[in-house]
Amino acid sequence: MSAATTTAPSPSEAPPLRPRGPFRRSLNRRYVITAYLFLLPAFAFFGLMFYLPIGNVIANSFNTGPQADVYAGLENYRRALDDSAVHNSFTVTVVFGAATTIGAIVLGLGLAMVLNQRLRGRVVFRAMLLVPYLTSVAIIGLLWRNILDPQLGILNRVLSDLGLPTQTWLNTHPLATIIAVTLWMNVGYTMVLFLAGLQGIPEEFYEAATVDGAGPWQRFWRITLPLLTPTTLFVSVMAVISGLQAFGQAYIITGGGPADRTDLYIFHVFNVAFTSRDFGYASALSFLLFLVIVLFTVVQLRLGRRGEVQY
Amino acid sequence: MHIRPVSPARVAGYALLTVVCALTVVPLLYMGTLSLQTEAETLAADPVLWPESPQFGNYVELFERAPFGNFIVNSLIVAGGITVAHLVFDPLVGYVFAKFRFPLRNTLFVALLATLMIPLFVRMIPLYVMMSNLGWLNSYQALIVPFLMDAFGIFLMRQFIQPIPDDLIQAARIDGASELRIYARVILPQVKPALAVLGLFTFVFQWNEFLWPLVATTTEEMRTIPVGLTLFNQEYFTLWHLTAAGSVILFVPTVLLFLFSQRYFVRGITLSGLK
Amino acid sequence: MAGLAAPWLSSCAGAPEDDASTGASGGSGGGGGGDLTVYWNAGHAYAAYDKVIAEFQEEHGVTVNMQKYQWDDLRTRLLSDLASGNPPDLVEESGGWVQEFATTGDALSLQEYVDADGEEMGFPEDWQPKTISRNSYEGEVYGIQLHLTCTMLLYNRAMLDAAGVEVPTTWDDFLDAATRLTGDGVYGFALNQDRSYSWPWLLQNGVRYYDPDGGDLLVPRDKAIEALQFQADLVHRHQVAPVPTPGTDYSGPQKLLSAGRAAMILTGPWDLAPIQQTSPDLNLGVAPALANDVQATVQAGTSVFIPRKAKNPDLAWDFIKRITALDVEKAATEEAGMLMPRLSWAEDPVVQENERYAAFAEGFAYAVDYTEDLRLTGKSGEINEQLYNTLYQDVVMNNTPAETAVDTFVTEARKVLDA
Repeated sequence: MSAATTTAPSPSEAPPLRPRGPFRRSLNRRYVITAYLFLLPAFAFFGLMFYLPIGNVIANSFNTGPQADVYAGLENYRRALDDSAVHNSFTVTVVFGAATTIGAIVLGLGLAMVLNQRLRGRVVFRAMLLVPYLTSVAIIGLLWRNILDPQLGILNRVLSDLGLPTQTWLNTHPLATIIAVTLWMNVGYTMVLFLAGLQGIPEEFYEAATVDGAGPWQRFWRITLPLLTPTTLFVSVMAVISGLQAFGQAYIITGGGPADRTDLYIFHVFNVAFTSRDFGYASALSFLLFLVIVLFTVVQLRLGRRGEVQY
Repeated sequence: MHIRPVSPARVAGYALLTVVCALTVVPLLYMGTLSLQTEAETLAADPVLWPESPQFGNYVELFERAPFGNFIVNSLIVAGGITVAHLVFDPLVGYVFAKFRFPLRNTLFVALLATLMIPLFVRMIPLYVMMSNLGWLNSYQALIVPFLMDAFGIFLMRQFIQPIPDDLIQAARIDGASELRIYARVILPQVKPALAVLGLFTFVFQWNEFLWPLVATTTEEMRTIPVGLTLFNQEYFTLWHLTAAGSVILFVPTVLLFLFSQRYFVRGITLSGLK
Repeated sequence: MAGLAAPWLSSCAGAPEDDASTGASGGSGGGGGGDLTVYWNAGHAYAAYDKVIAEFQEEHGVTVNMQKYQWDDLRTRLLSDLASGNPPDLVEESGGWVQEFATTGDALSLQEYVDADGEEMGFPEDWQPKTISRNSYEGEVYGIQLHLTCTMLLYNRAMLDAAGVEVPTTWDDFLDAATRLTGDGVYGFALNQDRSYSWPWLLQNGVRYYDPDGGDLLVPRDKAIEALQFQADLVHRHQVAPVPTPGTDYSGPQKLLSAGRAAMILTGPWDLAPIQQTSPDLNLGVAPALANDVQATVQAGTSVFIPRKAKNPDLAWDFIKRITALDVEKAATEEAGMLMPRLSWAEDPVVQENERYAAFAEGFAYAVDYTEDLRLTGKSGEINEQLYNTLYQDVVMNNTPAETAVDTFVTEARKVLDA
């Protein structure tokens, strides 16, 4: 880690994720200019298609009325603090986001480790696991509703034909059910990312470790996991971002119910925007969630950097 | 090449995998059988596992009831166009964030990720007004241009480019290679698995996108498949036999793309040692 | 937003912005003399309407761009259009939007058109009286009722006969019947997961959603609690109905009835066709609404309105006149079993000779548009579709005591009204 400490970067200039190599010793003006030249068109694009509309959203969050054109100051934010439906949906969403993130990482990594070995038929296994991700949340949602409906679903039909007790999960454990469906859909996707990440770990590392007498667990903790950090960081950042913004599961499967037990935050915001036609309030609620996600992301990026330094 | 000994863990892994894969695939097979049922069978309260006689005509009916051929072509053009754009732009920007040092880099990177943190429907109306002002509504450019690149792909590529040893780049620079040439000749060949993943996931995501094509198209002929499929819902119930058939068709290109791309990212560890 | 390209401008970039002549802005696909853009429910694409469209196109030399959506999608689309100043020419709405968009200034007053053409088309004389006020705002007409429906009690006649049960007319009869019909894999009744199906009970108990004078909700309160608790008790206490499954689908009870797993359901005419299709042998009865304090049920059905910024309001009005003509109504009924708002329709042999249609048509007399007062507050979206939804599901699915759930609802809804 000597390279990282010799440069004495400013606090915002944290070292890059894999701190090694020659041209990180100083800021070379030529490369700085090159970098900005490359980035300019990209940020022009994002400015037009994202930052401008997002700026519009932030501006709207201080407005009210069906056209969101009446200035209301901080009223929308004040209202959010006092809105028990919003608090409920935030709690529901944090549980959902945490469960889907952790589940996707653990299951995705586990399956990737297994399927990265020279197993017979692994290509078929991989394909089967990824297939649910290849279609839309809407279709998956409709499908699972057709399966799980306690009265009309095929699952209870099969269970009762087999003489087994039937289930009413959509009524009794609705949040756990949509978490499970989400994991069912997304595990193949995280598995593929981890598989791609595993390709980047040179075999020699494992061979050297084996020669040193490291067992499978030690190899996993000392080689695989640290060297997978870039992938793990990507997977977890993206899982938090998409988990906290999940929408289709509530929109299609449960309608947010029973009552408000699966009222995912963004689904709630969608209803504020398009059912109640309160774009001002919806904008404020979106911006609040935005701040929460930014916080989570920055923390994860910092942890990710620290994780790198360990080896 | 070396072959690991067969361990009990391996056997257990096999068994577990088979169960997991069965859990994954069986629900989807149910969609397949739904697509072959009669309307009455799909509407029945006692769900039917397998149709009395498979109704392949459901697939024909899709094309008779709606311009489904148009939907397919539109979806292919839009998802394909966006995927190509991502494969061109995302790795380039990801490379800059992975391998260049410049002031505000981390701030700019968080700003980039921030674009993923506002749901599309919230910024949809300003975007819609913009497209409308440009006279682009109901056109392919309206469906493609707002999605030419995204932070997901840039982030993904950054993560996969970072582990590439800097010495490789430095050596090329000493040889006098231009930055673009380094990118194309040194970086890109190293990240083929990531490119395959990026292409696949971008296509899948865009192929299934619903909200923007719903809002940005103003004729039935310009709809994409997911939006077109809503035509097969009645006011109070879904025409499941047609929706399921449409969903099965929706699967075909993404599965084909997966089968095509998977050889890049699932070669297995024995080969990766050879590079 | 003047000068914006019309939403139906063709796909060529930078197409000239041309909103000068009526509907002559270059049809999509480049054909025809212009477009009339219409948003329609995907479930209402009847052949009877296709015929009207063909004639209309022929006569005016324009193309009708019928864009068919599900209600949620149609609304998303429409709100985006309104925000950008680019609305379509004519919109079918799912009930209640006309007044909403009239209050916000997004709907065009049709009063001038009605004054000029009303007599010729029989408006408002030939429309069910209750369909006029729900489409009016401050004394002016903003929408024309297109379809009219109401919720009635559908029952499996064979099951009732076998159990020796009379068709119930009161709540007590109903509970007794449901109890006797339950058993052997059959439920006496099946509740819908959707909140709107709870309102026949509340109305029969004399409950008003919103009292504009006192500013109070669910009055009288104890009657509202009783009506909600009655429904929950059917499920949890008497166990004569299954727990409804949360979701976005309304067809659960219909499917149970069709399969012979429920003996009675509350629903509208939209379920007649699916029942006929899946169970053609089912001996289906349509009973008048129950009475507790009063006999009442829920009125529903779609209307059409013209957005204020529509490019072709005159053409849109002509389209309205054609699509609401008596012959068209009758053709749609014969084709799809949809029920219609004209008084002359209800008296027509097409309706009177069909036992089921006639039974629904009789319900129009006491069917109520229960959200009207609430809608006029402009807060119906939040109170009805979010807070009341939570209330209903909390009571019938989670078995929360109605009194507790109603208290929560009223507290939260007050906050919304006071905001």
